[in-house]
Amino acid sequence: MRRSLYKLTFVLLLSILILGTVCQGGEDSSGTVLKIGTPNVVKSASILGDSNMGVLAHLSNPTLMKMAEDGKIVGLTAKSYEVSEDGKVWTFPINDDLYWSDGQKFTPDDVQFTFSYLRDNYPAAGWMKNTVDNISVEGDAVVFKLNKPYSRLNLEFATYPILARHIWEKVDKPMEYTNEGENVGYGPFYISKTDLAAGVVYFLKNPYWKGASPKFDSLVIHTYSNMDVLSLALEKGDEDAYYKYAGTYPYASMQKLKDTGNFDFVEKDNIGLIFLGMNLQKEPMSDINFRKALSYAINYSEILKLDALGYGQVPNAGFVPPSMMDFKETAKLEHNLTQAKSILADAGYKDTNANGIVEGKDGKDIKLAFLTRTDYQRTAELMAEYLKLLGIDSEMKSVDSSTWIKQKDAGEYDLTITRSTPWGMLMHANWGTGYFDSRRTGEGVLHVLDDPVFLKLCDDILASTSEDQLKDYAYDLQDYYAENLPAIALYWSKVETPYNRAWQGWYSDPLYGIFNVDNFLSVEKSK
Amino acid sequence: MSLAAKKVSRYIIAIIIIFSLNFVIPRAMPGDPLTNLLGEDVILTDSSVTTLRSEMGLDRSFSQQYLDYWRSILKLDLGYSFHRHSPVSDIIFTRMKWTLLLALPSLLLGGVLGTVLGALAGWRCENRSQKMKTAFFLGVYCTPPYFLCLLALYLFSFKFALFPLKGFYDTGSALDIAHHLFLPILVMTLFSLSRNYMIMRGSILQEKSSLYATYARAKGLYDAEILFRHVFKNALLPIITLLAMDFGFILSGALFVEIVFSMDGMGNLIYDALLSRDYPVLQGSFLIITLMVVSANLLADILYSRLDPRVRWH
Repeated sequence: MRRSLYKLTFVLLLSILILGTVCQGGEDSSGTVLKIGTPNVVKSASILGDSNMGVLAHLSNPTLMKMAEDGKIVGLTAKSYEVSEDGKVWTFPINDDLYWSDGQKFTPDDVQFTFSYLRDNYPAAGWMKNTVDNISVEGDAVVFKLNKPYSRLNLEFATYPILARHIWEKVDKPMEYTNEGENVGYGPFYISKTDLAAGVVYFLKNPYWKGASPKFDSLVIHTYSNMDVLSLALEKGDEDAYYKYAGTYPYASMQKLKDTGNFDFVEKDNIGLIFLGMNLQKEPMSDINFRKALSYAINYSEILKLDALGYGQVPNAGFVPPSMMDFKETAKLEHNLTQAKSILADAGYKDTNANGIVEGKDGKDIKLAFLTRTDYQRTAELMAEYLKLLGIDSEMKSVDSSTWIKQKDAGEYDLTITRSTPWGMLMHANWGTGYFDSRRTGEGVLHVLDDPVFLKLCDDILASTSEDQLKDYAYDLQDYYAENLPAIALYWSKVETPYNRAWQGWYSDPLYGIFNVDNFLSVEKSK
Repeated sequence: MSLAAKKVSRYIIAIIIIFSLNFVIPRAMPGDPLTNLLGEDVILTDSSVTTLRSEMGLDRSFSQQYLDYWRSILKLDLGYSFHRHSPVSDIIFTRMKWTLLLALPSLLLGGVLGTVLGALAGWRCENRSQKMKTAFFLGVYCTPPYFLCLLALYLFSFKFALFPLKGFYDTGSALDIAHHLFLPILVMTLFSLSRNYMIMRGSILQEKSSLYATYARAKGLYDAEILFRHVFKNALLPIITLLAMDFGFILSGALFVEIVFSMDGMGNLIYDALLSRDYPVLQGSFLIITLMVVSANLLADILYSRLDPRVRWH
């Protein structure tokens, strides 16, 4: 019996070695392959129904416009754009050297179809029903006639993929349409296969692409459900680069990659940020003096050091990070506990019973409900410490994302730590307004600000027709943020994207990071 | 009513109650499938929200949804997942086959090896090599599964580069799948084996001091005969319960392994459906798990009555 068990153990160990050795190098090595690892797991092969797949599809189905490095909106599928003086007619001349990967010519008709189709069938583009009256093709251009001025149209069009009319006109429900095989695209690469069980999305060169030629043959995106394992895959050389939409490579794991000597990082200022959100509909958060006291109680340098390992900077009161267009330098946020206590006392929040907790205007000890998602628990714990030093008690509730959204929408919180994404900062009237405007709602937004001054500013921005005017409004908005502190930025961070030095020519845009057409036309094997 | 009829009716009542709980529990959590559907920076108009809620059936009353749920079950229709854009039965079938490929070999290997090795360890507990094996399996048994998975992956996939770091396959060939599955199966087998080993060892230690074992020895039976013909059978009862439970939870029990090895199996599916409040996927998965747990219990009942006459008589 014992002998047979030993034999069994021996056979097991031997088979480990044999299997491990035999299966080495099973990778398909036809041509040059760029491999990117991402923690953004694709749940379904639906470019309109799955947000992660939607980001990847920007390479096969590029957007009409794109955001340049300086934050300006410039043409991608469109050559450029023109807008009428009243801001109601937008004309986008379309590039005429584009072809779908099945050989058909890309035409302005595809663009016209895409936006009409999305407006009528895609919930996330439902806003067009109230704004866009008519979409027509005039020569080589697509013309949008609006029922009101809307200054953000070019920016909105930097997010929707253009669809092939001859494929999608047969699809009734775009959100439900999945395709694990070849997705016809007109970018330099198209999606040739989505293998959900293997967690891989394959891109091949578009044989009909007429633009600058890509310098590698295929792109493979591997999705990982575990960040630690993705870091090991990079270190081991299984992946050439890392990508995460609206996120950075974990700062704490960077040194290990640097130590290999094989990695460099694309470093960009993040448009998105981590901030302290407040329920402005409730006392005492509705009191500007209370918010000011809070802003002085926060040790920004410490949070930056502990949460972002110093990859960023202490923010300004104006909330908007310098990486955004029309940034205005407002006062730097400052940690000054004495000042915080003095503002609080002057505003009538005093600890009259000397129990260490200040009382609110109702005479009761202030105890704030601190709602946070598990992702930001560490930051929230730091915040709770700062509040305690200020004499404010808090009860922390750390919940999953769905619970956070539900409780946030029901107003069942006083404070929360959350983040803004790059697109989130740009949506609505730009500069983070989408997170605060009480007239809108959404999964990640707080919609707690109903101050008529702020709402008018948002409306003015949306209706603005001149760039100079828009800049003035942007400045006014940042002044408004600095004076009223509807939210407090905790730090402005950097987005770090590691790549193997075997590859060079990386370019990251402010909206989608390295996942942009220009990057994949520029990246090449190092000489 | 006969004993068999009583048992069958008990199982049917259990199924009805559990199926109802499968409907209620996901809805008791804050949020619904629309809460987390489109991404944190997508803003919907009120009319889009109304349309989506109606399409998902969320605008109906709770009781109406409950009736619809039972109607679908009776029609063997598990519904449609708006998060995964596919019928739930298709999603579960695809995931289930991979999870079974991962979990079934480990369950069987861990069951057989754990029982046999545990029996030997209990029978020869004074033996030095058995003591060393016990210490090893106790160590594995006490190690957090997530840590052991990461450790195995770090050593065998990263340091020695013997196995891939992720997924069920790359090319999809049989050898490629075996290559990807070997390490996760090995880790899961170790878990199952060590648990069964410890339980079986304890059970044998208890049984070997019984009078019938002493009597068998006095009769002059060989050691192996006493162990495998008499003691083993009696010591097996707790293991049968555990194996039945393992079989019941085979689909959801591989969660840690699936997360560490980035495998899109049932564990990951259920975990993700919980976070995104994907009611149809949760209901469908729980339904399958319920059926498996109930049938495993039924099987355990039958095996018990075969192995232990006392169960038959009572």
